[in-house]
Amino acid sequence: MSRNTVAGWSFILPNFLGFAALTLLPVVVLFYVAFTNWNVFGVAEWTGTANFRRMWDDASFWTALRNTVYYAVFHIPLTLAAALGLALLLNRKLRGVRFFRTVAFFPYITSIVAIAVVWNQLFSPEYGPINALLGAVGVDDPPGWTASSTWSMPAVIIVGTWRYMGYYMLLFLAGLQTIPAQLYEAAETDGASPWQRFVHVTLPGLRTTTFFVTVLLTIESFKVFDLILVMTGGGPGQSTLVLSQYIYQKGFEENQFGYASAVSIVLFAICFGITVIQFWVNKRRNS
Amino acid sequence: MKRAIPAVISAATALTLVLAGCGGGDEPVDPNAPVTITLAGWSLSSTPEFKTLADGFKATHPNVTVELKEYAAGNDYDTQMITDLAAGTAPDVYVMKTLKNFYTYQSGNQLLDVSDVTSGLGSVPALASYQVDGKAYAVPYRQDSWVLFYNKDLFAKAKVAPPDGSWTWDDYTDAAKRLHTGLKGAGSNATGAYQHTFQSTVQGFALAQTPNADLLSGDFGYLKPYYERSLDLQATGAQPTFGTAKTNKLTYQAQFGKQQSAMLLMGTWYVATLLNQRQSGDADKFQWGIAPAPQFDKSTTGTSATPVTFGDPTGLGINPKISKSKVAAAKEFLKYVAGPDAGKALAGIGITPAQATDAVTATLFGLDGVPQDDLSKFAYAKHTTKPENPVSKHTAGLQNLLNETHSAILSDSKGVDAELSKAQSRAKNEVLNQ
Repeated sequence: MSRNTVAGWSFILPNFLGFAALTLLPVVVLFYVAFTNWNVFGVAEWTGTANFRRMWDDASFWTALRNTVYYAVFHIPLTLAAALGLALLLNRKLRGVRFFRTVAFFPYITSIVAIAVVWNQLFSPEYGPINALLGAVGVDDPPGWTASSTWSMPAVIIVGTWRYMGYYMLLFLAGLQTIPAQLYEAAETDGASPWQRFVHVTLPGLRTTTFFVTVLLTIESFKVFDLILVMTGGGPGQSTLVLSQYIYQKGFEENQFGYASAVSIVLFAICFGITVIQFWVNKRRNS
Repeated sequence: MKRAIPAVISAATALTLVLAGCGGGDEPVDPNAPVTITLAGWSLSSTPEFKTLADGFKATHPNVTVELKEYAAGNDYDTQMITDLAAGTAPDVYVMKTLKNFYTYQSGNQLLDVSDVTSGLGSVPALASYQVDGKAYAVPYRQDSWVLFYNKDLFAKAKVAPPDGSWTWDDYTDAAKRLHTGLKGAGSNATGAYQHTFQSTVQGFALAQTPNADLLSGDFGYLKPYYERSLDLQATGAQPTFGTAKTNKLTYQAQFGKQQSAMLLMGTWYVATLLNQRQSGDADKFQWGIAPAPQFDKSTTGTSATPVTFGDPTGLGINPKISKSKVAAAKEFLKYVAGPDAGKALAGIGITPAQATDAVTATLFGLDGVPQDDLSKFAYAKHTTKPENPVSKHTAGLQNLLNETHSAILSDSKGVDAELSKAQSRAKNEVLNQ
């Protein structure tokens, strides 16, 4: 072994040991546990694919999967649009632009519990200011928001979008800085309208950032947990029950760690599959 | 190099945790030697019962020290305890905080057989909850039961007759509505009743009182009349809606303590809470009383009958990994906590012990601020208390799905029948077949 190799390993090893003990090993164990019946105490009983077959007939699993997809399908484009819009707005030379950028980023660093409490009060069907406002503009039958099984998911999506748009805005702002100003000058000289400049200069220039943001956003959306847990607890009924919460419920509330692990693998497979597709599509576009 | 430091710390912490799990070993048995047993508790600064039990035991067993180990409160208690038991780092004696998880501990061989302790305890009804195949695995030290708390001042203001122990649920519903109208007429915003968002406030009573109701049968038809009455109360404004309570994070303590509602269905633990909150100023000072929970029908009403209600015991069990030299002391401690002395000590801080005796009632009603009327004493001392969570492999799963059913029915109901039939089919397909 060369001196460089030894030095390299000595740098990597301490970090790798932590990673191996706290991430790698649990993941490997998870894959094993998914094929067992295990309640934490004693030995896990090997049951083969029984947990996966059980999932097939489990209506709650399908409800959680549907809800997760519902959240992702709306949360991803909405957040993408809001973050990009904010980034474009705050990429100009404005008075107090730094203040506005901070304000936009603020929800991301605010405690999720505080967010849930405040938004739940805003959404209160009888006393909340949102419905008061809707009433004032002539909406006779305002939504029940988090107290209604039809409106609870839209309510959560609105809050989710509000919370994360600041973070992705920062990424877009960084991306916007990399687009050479000359391209805009050239486009302007050629008589391109603001819309044309956006479509033909900004969007292509942001392609790498957009791809990166979409991948992050997709993974984040599919494993949404804390926001829903503190806002609605999955309810009313099962209207906002998502996969990660279902995993928590089966594992930590009902001590069915084998089944919870199996559902985790499905969630992992979904995230992994979609990410691979996104990379593949991106690669084809680039070539 | 800086990045390596957290990793080294993490690895070292993990290693320490692993090694901590390997410690121990049996110490030589000496009955007179000083012994220290560890006891799990939660929120030690605001939950005095653990220290009361430890100090009370020390008074009669000077060679035994009970050392408290603090755990998370709420549902996290069980998660943390299960983790510690699995890792071998749990305390010698630990609390069965909810009956729902007793099955997990017992079937996972995490409780020592304590039948020899319970055989000497006499008649403690809650003992049965901790028995499996004729053997006892824990002893109860608390037994709360659900009763009706009511605000005498608000009843007078609304000119409605207060409860007299003869109420069925229809009487309760009727009173709540009349209170609502009366209070409104008197210029008060208080509601007639407040049923908190817990599933217990509806399902606990329905299960305990309905003849032949059985949680584990997966047949939930017995819940229907109880939900219909709750929905009726919400619709008439006699109690805050489920949505309002959830979205505004209403607490039952403030709702009753700050005189926002004239009646509150709650467990007897609320006596201690209300007394403390009156002292700290978190609750108003007003005339209040306790009445038996409203009944399924007239057959269990009146002070000559025994009202039926529900409530799970809170118990203590012994970790089987305890060193042999400490087992005798731990069993003595269990004998003490379920006995009359601990009962009086607990009643002295407003807690309802497992063994209800006249002395316990006298101690609790001797506390400053507790109502002195006969109905309150009757409601506190006399009832048949059935468990909310009958011990079974399926209890946790069934209660989880019934909790979802509860919020579905009380929010924007698709109809009680439709939701109950969905719950029944889910119970059959997702829980009872496992």
